[in-house]
Amino acid sequence: MKISEIVQKTGVQAINDFRDKNVDRVYISDMVSDIITGAKPNSILVTLQTHKSLIAAANLVNVPMIVIVRGRRPADDVVELATKVGIGLFTSDLDTWGYAKKLTELGF
Amino acid sequence: MSPHGHRWYMADIRAGYIVTESCHECGARSSFFTTESVPPVDEYREGRHYWIYQGNFQAVKFRLQCDGCSKHVDLEDMVALMLSTCDDQDCAVGRLVRDRGEGAWVYVALCKSSSHASGKCVSAESIEALDQYFNQDNEASEKRVTVVPCSMCSNMDTCRGIVIADAGLTEIY
Repeated sequence: MKISEIVQKTGVQAINDFRDKNVDRVYISDMVSDIITGAKPNSILVTLQTHKSLIAAANLVNVPMIVIVRGRRPADDVVELATKVGIGLFTSDLDTWGYAKKLTELGF
Repeated sequence: MSPHGHRWYMADIRAGYIVTESCHECGARSSFFTTESVPPVDEYREGRHYWIYQGNFQAVKFRLQCDGCSKHVDLEDMVALMLSTCDDQDCAVGRLVRDRGEGAWVYVALCKSSSHASGKCVSAESIEALDQYFNQDNEASEKRVTVVPCSMCSNMDTCRGIVIADAGLTEIY
């Protein structure tokens, strides 16, 4: 599914200019060490994390879309790095479980 | 499949802590991985070093295993990875970041002894396997990850980058 379709159907807000890549699975984690061992390429990463190391980890494992839940927003330098590596950053006012339910309703 | 013929996957994934120590007498630094439920903070003598606890962060250890043959790489000599943001043209890593250009990302594999007091760093075999693993799904894209050992940095104390570490998650402020 295209990122733009997920944005439209789950009501997340884009934080940066994103590339409309395909995603086909979901990974939920707040630990960067877990992300590099657990997340698969083309995953949507759902997290509470806003630290720059999140982007360093997601880039390594080819995650193209990160949804930060509970309305959190990362600092400008984090957004800049995500844009540079081609990762779309989004925020949702829902909590992790609420947003995960939205994704399961889409068939993930 | 990497161009080198291996299709790597992560195996033996263990959760634990990286504990960092420094030598009170010579200033050397060292790190080790432990799966103990509480990371050890003891001070102790080891040969000419007297190690003092400096801190810990949650981490995972893994080895790389080839799906097509029996080859595996333990990665026991690596404690973390760091996305380099170095722009120091007097540093080999900084020059590599500049020369590789857009779409290429240099990750520095950090070894157990960041002061390199032992003269050892992450092995060439580990670096090669990590490089192949993190690029094996990049064949259809312009993205390229380059993994280098931390001995390539001109000065680890001033090296700029983003360490992939879960620092501070067990602290209460």
